[in-house]
Amino acid sequence: MGRGRMPSKTALARLQGAVSYAFLLGLLLVVIFPFYWMTVTSLKSEDQMRSLVSMFWPSPFVTDNYRHLLQKTDFAAWFGNSVFVAVSSTFLATAIGTIGAYSLARLKFLGRGFMASATLITYLVPPSILFIPLYAQIRNLGLADSLTGLIAAYPSFTVPFVTWLLMGYFESIPEELEEAAMIDGATRFGAFWRVVLPLSAPGVLAAALYAFTQAWNEFLYALVFITDVKLRTLPVGLSTFITGDVYGWGFLMAGAVLTTLPVIAAYMYLQKYMVEGLTAGSVKG
Amino acid sequence: MSTRAAPLQAKAQLRGRGRAAVVGLERLLGPDYRMGILFVSPIVLLVLALVAYPFCYAVYLSMTRKYVGLPPVWVGLDNYVKITWDGFFQRAVANSFIFTFGSVGVKLVLGMAMALVLTSEIRWRSFWTGVLLIPWVAPTVVSALNFLWIFDYSLGVLNYLLVRVFRLLPQGVGWLSEPGTAMASVIGVNIWRGFPFFGISFLAGMKAIPGELYEAAAVDGATALQRFRHVTLPGVKNIVIIVVLLSTIWTFNDFQIVYILTRGGPGGATQVLPVFTYEIAFGAQRLGEAIAVALYMLPALAVVIIVLARYMRRGRAK
Repeated sequence: MGRGRMPSKTALARLQGAVSYAFLLGLLLVVIFPFYWMTVTSLKSEDQMRSLVSMFWPSPFVTDNYRHLLQKTDFAAWFGNSVFVAVSSTFLATAIGTIGAYSLARLKFLGRGFMASATLITYLVPPSILFIPLYAQIRNLGLADSLTGLIAAYPSFTVPFVTWLLMGYFESIPEELEEAAMIDGATRFGAFWRVVLPLSAPGVLAAALYAFTQAWNEFLYALVFITDVKLRTLPVGLSTFITGDVYGWGFLMAGAVLTTLPVIAAYMYLQKYMVEGLTAGSVKG
Repeated sequence: MSTRAAPLQAKAQLRGRGRAAVVGLERLLGPDYRMGILFVSPIVLLVLALVAYPFCYAVYLSMTRKYVGLPPVWVGLDNYVKITWDGFFQRAVANSFIFTFGSVGVKLVLGMAMALVLTSEIRWRSFWTGVLLIPWVAPTVVSALNFLWIFDYSLGVLNYLLVRVFRLLPQGVGWLSEPGTAMASVIGVNIWRGFPFFGISFLAGMKAIPGELYEAAAVDGATALQRFRHVTLPGVKNIVIIVVLLSTIWTFNDFQIVYILTRGGPGGATQVLPVFTYEIAFGAQRLGEAIAVALYMLPALAVVIIVLARYMRRGRAK
């Protein structure tokens, strides 16, 4: 009986394997294609794009789109704005989030449970509810139409996320390590600074990267708060390239490539931490 | 010390005797209160200034007639009553539900399939997970613009593939300009962006299920389907609930994809609440009414948030 079933089982396993790989390959194609298409488009000439020849490969390769983008649009200024806003708000969010998360994860004081819940709920409140009152507030403070206004507003979503992610990280570090350090004479702060923080460096790095990505990708606040063309960030700036006419697509896609590059580069380099961070941020595996 | 017995006395001694005061405060506020409160105070300030206050202000503004640059005029619940009977608003609500449940449903199935395949014996697992997560980290605006170009009627690659390469259609489809396909297209882009998060989260949940459970099930002669039903599903149940609720909130409030691809068109066929809110606020300049639109679903949203926060905290406590 066993002999009769063995071959069919391996055949089944082989079939299962083939279906699995086919499924993954299909997903891979669907996931990658838009990025491939964006890159190819950015390197095509206007003539080629209009004539539908050699659809999937640039012939000839041209860099006109990139030149046009950097010389005749405000793209370079937008890039600078995005870097400035994303880097500043990442530092802010990581600093505030790290100490806050340690406090909420470890220290015992009145109101800790309440603040932990408040932070989590803040993380879950969507920007589409807050953007109008925040805009009114930023305007009243005289920060409308300034990058400072964006840097002030972005912590509303980056800080709760960083805090929630790192709370999980700090909770997973054995408390005994800190206790041992304090018995050896370290202060509470010393235990945090010299024991907990170095051990959680990967978590802090993942949190900072996500904060950066969120700030870099943010669209709604940047669209609403900023009206000055020169002060736009990349996502909003790029979206203003939609004109519906053929000639825009080449440099629009060139802009898309340059906007995606920093995020994807950081992700490829630090993929392991980010995948771990992602799952820790929503749920702990 | 007598401070332990009499709280009133302790209060009196607060000023005079430092040590006693510290002990008293520690008992009242907790042993780590100084560093704890110091470290958490930036978050408290932030939550108050950037979330709590704007939120309360929003509730107030939704009960006023408010135009940009002019002082608000109190109108009570008029905005809510008015939009309730507004056909455009009703349509946006219906569209938001179609958009959300359509996206989340497919993302759930796709994410589950992705996680199951990635937990089976497969080569280059970290390569697959790494690549499949890219849509999630890439800027959403860029992805939306990519798809706007892919969906283009005359020069888009999708029509090119369907008509000229595979010859499946006699002529191209106006994916985003025809009411019949526009909603499906924006849902498709949302799925494309969101399914990796489902897959990776489920994968993490499945990895945490002890292997002995599967071995025991195999010894008992369970089929693959039975193992999925009785071992895998119960093991990832909490994560599935958390991810689905999180994604429901995010999808319901997704602004960028619809704004970039269709702006709610054609003829309101893809108009969803966040874009509708934006149009009323900054197109029509009626801020009070716009906030009423944004807050209309708040009771439902609050329920989802509270349930979700419970699950997330419980997931952590384990």
